[in-house]
Amino acid sequence: MNQLALLQNALVVGAILFSLGLVGILTRRNLIVMFLSAELMLQGISVSLVAWSRYHGDFGGQVLVIFVLTVAACEAAVALVFVLQAFARTGRLDSAAWQSLRESNLPRRVDHELPAIDTVPPSFPRLTPAGVLPAADENDLLQREHV
Amino acid sequence: MIAVALPSPGVLLAGAVTAAAVSLWLLLPRGRDSRPARWLGGLLGAAALAGFVLTGRRLGGLGEEAVFLIVSLVAVISGAATIVSRSPVYSAIWFALALAGVSGVLLVLGAQFLGVATIVVYAGAILVMFLFVLMLAQPAGLAPYDRVSNEPLLSAIAGATLLGLLTLSIGRLSADPSCCQMPSKAAAMAAGTAGTSVDAAHAGDAIDAAIATDPLAADQVARLGGELFGRHLLAVEAAGVLLLVALVGSIAVVSRHGDPSGELAPARRAAS
Amino acid sequence: MSPATLLVLVPLLPLVGAILTVALGRRLGSRGHLPAIAGIAAAAVVAVSLLLGLGREVGIGDAAHAPTARPVEMITTLWEWAGVDAAYSPPAGSPAAADTARADGATDLRSFSIPVALRLDPLTSTLLTIITCVGLLVAIYSIGYMHDDPGYPRFFALLAMFVFSMSMLVAASNFLLVYVFWEAVGACSYLLIGFWFTKPEAARAAKKAFLVNRVGDFGLAVATFLLWMTYGTLNFHDTLSADGTILPGILGQSRIADAAGYVGGAVGTAICLLLLLAACGKSAQLPLHVWLPDAMEGPTPASALIHAATMVTAGIYLVARCAPLFVVCPDALTMVSIVGTTTALVAALIGTVQNDLKRVLAYSTISQLGYMFASLGTGTMLGFTAAIFHLVTHAFFKALLFLGAGSVMHSMGGVIDMRRFGGLRRLMPITAATFLIGSLALAGVAPFAGFFSKDEILAALHSKGWPDAHGEHHDTAPASGHAAVRLPAADSGPNTAPASTMHFVSMKTAAAADAPVLDRPRTWQTLFWMSLITAGLTAFYTFRAVFMTFTGPLRVPDEAGHHAHESPPVMTIPLVILAVASAVSGWWLFATHSLSTFLAATPSLTAPAVTATATPPAFHFDLALQGTLAAALGIAIAAVGHLGRRSDGPQIERFLGPIGTLFANRFFIDQLYKALIVKPLEGVALVAAAFDRYVIDGLVDGVARIPLALGAWARHLQSGLVQRYALVGVLGTLLIMLALAARLR
Repeated sequence: MNQLALLQNALVVGAILFSLGLVGILTRRNLIVMFLSAELMLQGISVSLVAWSRYHGDFGGQVLVIFVLTVAACEAAVALVFVLQAFARTGRLDSAAWQSLRESNLPRRVDHELPAIDTVPPSFPRLTPAGVLPAADENDLLQREHV
Repeated sequence: MIAVALPSPGVLLAGAVTAAAVSLWLLLPRGRDSRPARWLGGLLGAAALAGFVLTGRRLGGLGEEAVFLIVSLVAVISGAATIVSRSPVYSAIWFALALAGVSGVLLVLGAQFLGVATIVVYAGAILVMFLFVLMLAQPAGLAPYDRVSNEPLLSAIAGATLLGLLTLSIGRLSADPSCCQMPSKAAAMAAGTAGTSVDAAHAGDAIDAAIATDPLAADQVARLGGELFGRHLLAVEAAGVLLLVALVGSIAVVSRHGDPSGELAPARRAAS
Repeated sequence: MSPATLLVLVPLLPLVGAILTVALGRRLGSRGHLPAIAGIAAAAVVAVSLLLGLGREVGIGDAAHAPTARPVEMITTLWEWAGVDAAYSPPAGSPAAADTARADGATDLRSFSIPVALRLDPLTSTLLTIITCVGLLVAIYSIGYMHDDPGYPRFFALLAMFVFSMSMLVAASNFLLVYVFWEAVGACSYLLIGFWFTKPEAARAAKKAFLVNRVGDFGLAVATFLLWMTYGTLNFHDTLSADGTILPGILGQSRIADAAGYVGGAVGTAICLLLLLAACGKSAQLPLHVWLPDAMEGPTPASALIHAATMVTAGIYLVARCAPLFVVCPDALTMVSIVGTTTALVAALIGTVQNDLKRVLAYSTISQLGYMFASLGTGTMLGFTAAIFHLVTHAFFKALLFLGAGSVMHSMGGVIDMRRFGGLRRLMPITAATFLIGSLALAGVAPFAGFFSKDEILAALHSKGWPDAHGEHHDTAPASGHAAVRLPAADSGPNTAPASTMHFVSMKTAAAADAPVLDRPRTWQTLFWMSLITAGLTAFYTFRAVFMTFTGPLRVPDEAGHHAHESPPVMTIPLVILAVASAVSGWWLFATHSLSTFLAATPSLTAPAVTATATPPAFHFDLALQGTLAAALGIAIAAVGHLGRRSDGPQIERFLGPIGTLFANRFFIDQLYKALIVKPLEGVALVAAAFDRYVIDGLVDGVARIPLALGAWARHLQSGLVQRYALVGVLGTLLIMLALAARLR
């Protein structure tokens, strides 16, 4: 197997993952999705590192990926706490909710009214009624609906 | 292999990058969800992927090529789906699939420990944490800010340009492999007897041979462990301290109850 | 103490007084006058002692020695203000080049030096005495006049400052120093006119005086440049160069003694006319006289000292000091006389219809200064000494009149309009008596001071107008002496120069070839008659003021209040002293001939062209008769019009008709200046202001708007949205990467 070709292909995969993560972190406004995008970028980096490690026959790259993993875990812990705090303050997971650092005379960015989604109400599989319908918990239904 | 006449690599790459940019722009949430646009975006994305596959079809054996192709396609498509999904929960699930693809790529690359660890640590721990947070925080229904993006066109162009630049520079490796010729243990091992400088064209094969002939190639994990706790012991200790600090820090932040400034309380009340 | 030390003390003591007053003014309170008066008094003592010492040197009052005609001067160089060795080479052919000519025909480089040098000679000494003595009397008078004024210490500080500046002006032995203190007295005058600066008229009058004086100062500055170019030095006195040779000063004894020492022709005339312009500005002669009447807005003691007795005579001093320069330019000299006589007549005509007591005196001052210029313009020894003689007596009686007017004004509560009061002799007898003495002196009634000095001036003019008749008039004077009066015109002797000085020779010979345009007997005859008419007018307006103010039924304006009584002794005693001086100084100085003999020892007046015209002192009965008749006629007309009548009765303007309107409006000169100079200048200023506001400011504002516009655009980047920041960062990184990729290809 051509080692150079393998390296190059793995690097391209890493680059694609990195770029996708970058686009995600630039565009998505949900804090959690932004976070996922960041993790995607880390994955791209990890692939590249392992590819180079393989190419050189050196474990340094893999060791580095282990540390990346560690740091990602720490980052996730701390950042998710911050996300929760931010949510506690605004009631939203919106990154655009935090724009008080803008120039004083610029208007606040306001989202335009969005067209309604023509989503079909979720249809859940139903059993043939064979007895008394079990009483569904209202909260439970609510939780499921938006997943 | 597809044996049709292909355009030159540069044109192919440019087309793939453009298709990637347009497809990302079409797929990203832009407030108006039109089904044809998403179909077109998906098609263009597939075309871009095809372009990249054609650009990078240089693997040797058919078997390994297929495995690599499949896992990397899984990783890339899931990654794209992660960032274009409207619902953050779907995003998280797509991300889990992307992790699976990545771990496959890692396995193909010969990093067995990392492949497994990625699944265990990410999908098992971090992703679950995300889902918990989502359940804690996500309001009912699809939030407006999940349905719009911030500067989708410009960001898509920027990402695609970056991808194109990276791919170009990766392509230069084969055109001039000496650019990245680093003294490596494998190369040194292969060329040790000769005592001369390694021929660039045969360096990869030499490494391959070195790994193949290496009796320790089977116990990769053990060798990684030796490396980790040998040369990098201090760094491992530091990483442990880092984990502890992150743990303490997050608990400290989350246990601070209430709203210290009080300024955002009305907003929260209005939102909830 | 040596005379040099004493000479330095004269300006120094008032300066110390001024500085002390400024430093301690608030602490001294109502005693704020003490340092200034002490300084001026000490300076007066020193000046008098210097005068006496110099008089002994010349030989006045010493029976054993006949007065010498040799020049007497003493120079004290305090320090070198500026000194550059081998600074420049004088233009070929100029007197400066001739001074430094070497045997081989080349000329040495001359050094440029401005020494701070003071001089003492009879002219300076006379003026120093007048300045300090009159200054002292005025300062004492001001204690009473200015009491309770909020600016009390400021007034005395300015007064002392003025005495310092004026002393330095007359003692300076260098044209640049003269220029400096010429400006300094102007500044003091400006500050004193605008002493009550909250009054708009006073502020305006101060500004007007300052601006009109600028015109004259311009003349002095250009004259100084021309003198430097021509003579290569600015010193009055001779200096010793390093190698022991004498560098002649402009008015140094060696140059004065040298028959060819002065440049005539176009350059000389230009210098003289520019000096005359300067003198016209400072001494309020036509056409620059307009500032002096308005200057009466200042406190009356300041008017008495500065605008009557001393500062306005600086022009007389300048022309007298530069006599050697003038006598080689007969046309310039005649011009001095024409300007003086015209001014005297015009000012006297305007003075006849003024109703403001101080303005009458102001126009009288202008008129009397015109007399002095007329006298100077004759260019004879008699003319020069008569001018200084009149300067001295005028300083006494005009200061007396001003202080008397101030006394009236003080008791009338600031009212100075003669139509609103009358019969004041019953209220303030001392003031009335002294004012009368001053008026008699001004009108030229024998035996008061003005009679003698005016008689000498008329004699000087008469001797130019009728040289032959005048020669017969004095049997003691040889006829040839009068022929020498026209010496600069008839004879090119003093202007003869070596043929090698080509450039200047051409000018000199041209001047010698052209007969003087103005210097003709006919001119001088006209001037004499004009002066005689002026004498009659002087008597008329003086006594008109006296009769309106002090005679007739007693009338006091309402503003007077409890002030309507005789002034306190601190004000009347100076009046009495000045009255005595006005009464006897003329007779005494004339009878002993001490002043003319003393002044003849001034280096400037020992120029051959001047000494050649010296005549033995004589009393001119016919001229005295004419002058007295004119004065008597004037007094009689005034008596017919005003004696014993109510001062607001029939006015002279009504009697004169349209001519009266012309006089009352001051010949419309102010209006003419306003239309011809002020309005166009205001138009230019408006255009300049508009240019500044719209073009210059527009440009500056435009430049300032560029960063503003950039900022207004760039601030949209600062949206507060973190993702947009990140996008900008990524785009920047991409740019760098693209640039690197382009380089790597």
